[in-house]
Amino acid sequence: MSSTLLPEERALDAHVRTNSSKSKRYGFFPGCVAKESCKELFNSTMLLADKLGIELIELTAASCCGASVLNDTNRDVARVLNARTYAQAEALGLDDVITICSTCTGHMRAANKELRESEEHMAQANAILGKFGANYKGSVTVRHLLWLLIDDIGLDKLQAMVVRPLNGLKVAPFYGCHIIRPESVNGWESARHPHSLEDVIVALGGEAVDYAGKTRCCGFHVQLEKEGIAASMVGQNMRMAKDNGAEAVITPCPLCHLALDGYQADAAARWGRTDLPVFHLPQLVAYALGVPAEKLGLKKHLIDPREVMVSRDLIN
Amino acid sequence: MAKIKLDIFRFDEATDAIPHRDEVTVDLPETTTVLDALEYAKAEIDGSISFRRSCRSAICGSCSMSIGGVTSLACKTSCGSAMEEDGSVKIDPMPNFQPMKDLVVHMDPFWDKYARLKPYLQPNDADSAHATERRVSPDDMTKLVDVANCIMCATCYSLCPVVSVDPAFAGPAAIAYAYRFIEDVRDGQRKERIAQISEDYLWLCAHCYACSYCPKHVDPNDRIIDVKRAAITDRVMMNERGPRHALVVAKTIKQTGMLAETEVIQGTVGRFNIRGLLKVAPLGARMALKGKLPPPFLKPVPKVDEIRTIFDALEAPVR
Repeated sequence: MSSTLLPEERALDAHVRTNSSKSKRYGFFPGCVAKESCKELFNSTMLLADKLGIELIELTAASCCGASVLNDTNRDVARVLNARTYAQAEALGLDDVITICSTCTGHMRAANKELRESEEHMAQANAILGKFGANYKGSVTVRHLLWLLIDDIGLDKLQAMVVRPLNGLKVAPFYGCHIIRPESVNGWESARHPHSLEDVIVALGGEAVDYAGKTRCCGFHVQLEKEGIAASMVGQNMRMAKDNGAEAVITPCPLCHLALDGYQADAAARWGRTDLPVFHLPQLVAYALGVPAEKLGLKKHLIDPREVMVSRDLIN
Repeated sequence: MAKIKLDIFRFDEATDAIPHRDEVTVDLPETTTVLDALEYAKAEIDGSISFRRSCRSAICGSCSMSIGGVTSLACKTSCGSAMEEDGSVKIDPMPNFQPMKDLVVHMDPFWDKYARLKPYLQPNDADSAHATERRVSPDDMTKLVDVANCIMCATCYSLCPVVSVDPAFAGPAAIAYAYRFIEDVRDGQRKERIAQISEDYLWLCAHCYACSYCPKHVDPNDRIIDVKRAAITDRVMMNERGPRHALVVAKTIKQTGMLAETEVIQGTVGRFNIRGLLKVAPLGARMALKGKLPPPFLKPVPKVDEIRTIFDALEAPVR
């Protein structure tokens, strides 16, 4: 194997070879925000993985995916950084890299597509990776945990695993742009009319709320560029959700979570109070699969989701 | 043949206080384009239905409208592809525009943003200084071909979430068209053009890729990134928050391997911009109360030297 492996990665590597894998193993790329301001997302993902019987091998030496911003400074750097991450997964014998962030999903898939479709890009990346003994062959597929739930676990099995159904909780899906757009990069479902989150909500015993804002932008990436811009985008979308009867929101993206959870208060002046609690996808799935609510970091949310959970008899 | 229910937004700014909806049923195959279905309805059922159209083949850019909740060209969209479960096709005027009559909207803000670009070639020297026409190499021209395919249908502008909350934003089409001149080797106004589009909030693009729904595959989303990169390469208006943000993100990734949230906020707003920092402080305080503040310093990821090697090999700019 490659000499670039860290000692703990070598141990994992040995583990890969000796374990006949009674459970499915995945490379895991948590992304920066799940390690910084949304640690509750990271923790609930790991708790959910235990319930699902899957093993997530965190790529601890991976870099940021580029977060859609790095492309603004240089055409190549994000692609090569991601090639390094994929090389680490390959070296561990992992073909799947699972993300828990819409932005990571879109940008890592875009980089991978460029690498796999262009010999020039792949050669450029490997020339640089070669400086530290790494190499990417192109075998990695980047997928979001949401897609894993539906493709690898399956909605029927997920439904059968539910021990605490959501009692008809009215949940508005909020996809986050980069898990659906551009379709040429993601293409796992229709960007214009996606329904994977709705399917998961229903499988968990909730009621999915339809609204035009579900595929729109939360404004996270421009929250610092101009006063009030992200708050306005959040308010507009949450108003639509609330008007269509939502009691809570679910998102597969921690950037959307930060914007939606953080800016509803600031948006109230223009859009009226909405106060919709915003669940990370794995929090709500883990809850329905029996992970104790107090382990999910719900009290870290600015809009406390526990009130609405009490009102639906989900917690005491 | 199928019964298609056209569920149409009706409004006349000259006579109506509020809009209403009409349902017009046409007996046509589901493969019929929305434009053909509207033409049929107008000719055979209700002559007062108003909509813009001309070429019927995705060249003129006139017939953009909201079909099933997403802006598209009516001539390029089949009724079947946009049909609801009850057999209806929901047709509305483009969002982000003021309705004029039925599906016709006031396009003025969109054209105004084009006009601000001075969307014509402005060479440095007079034509008379050249014995022949100005030559452009095939490579230089290839960069411009995709953008030159823009038919100004305003689909992207209508779908843009930033335009919907802040009409000062230039919008995707205008930025893509700015690129068309910024990257034209014959043009002499590159820096001025970058400055003008920066003033029209180039950096307010939210990276949402809604403009990737472009019916002509101009994909303004990628051209917006190209123009931002041109702004950084040419060092135009570098003290704005947009370029500061991009470069501080790059810096923290190079230093730690991660996007360090705390440093990115300080670096974008300005470490000594007390007023600016106070404005983000209330959210910061709310997050701190919940134990949700990102850590002030990050430990670099293992083998961060490899990450720095990548930045250096590509000579990627950082702040």
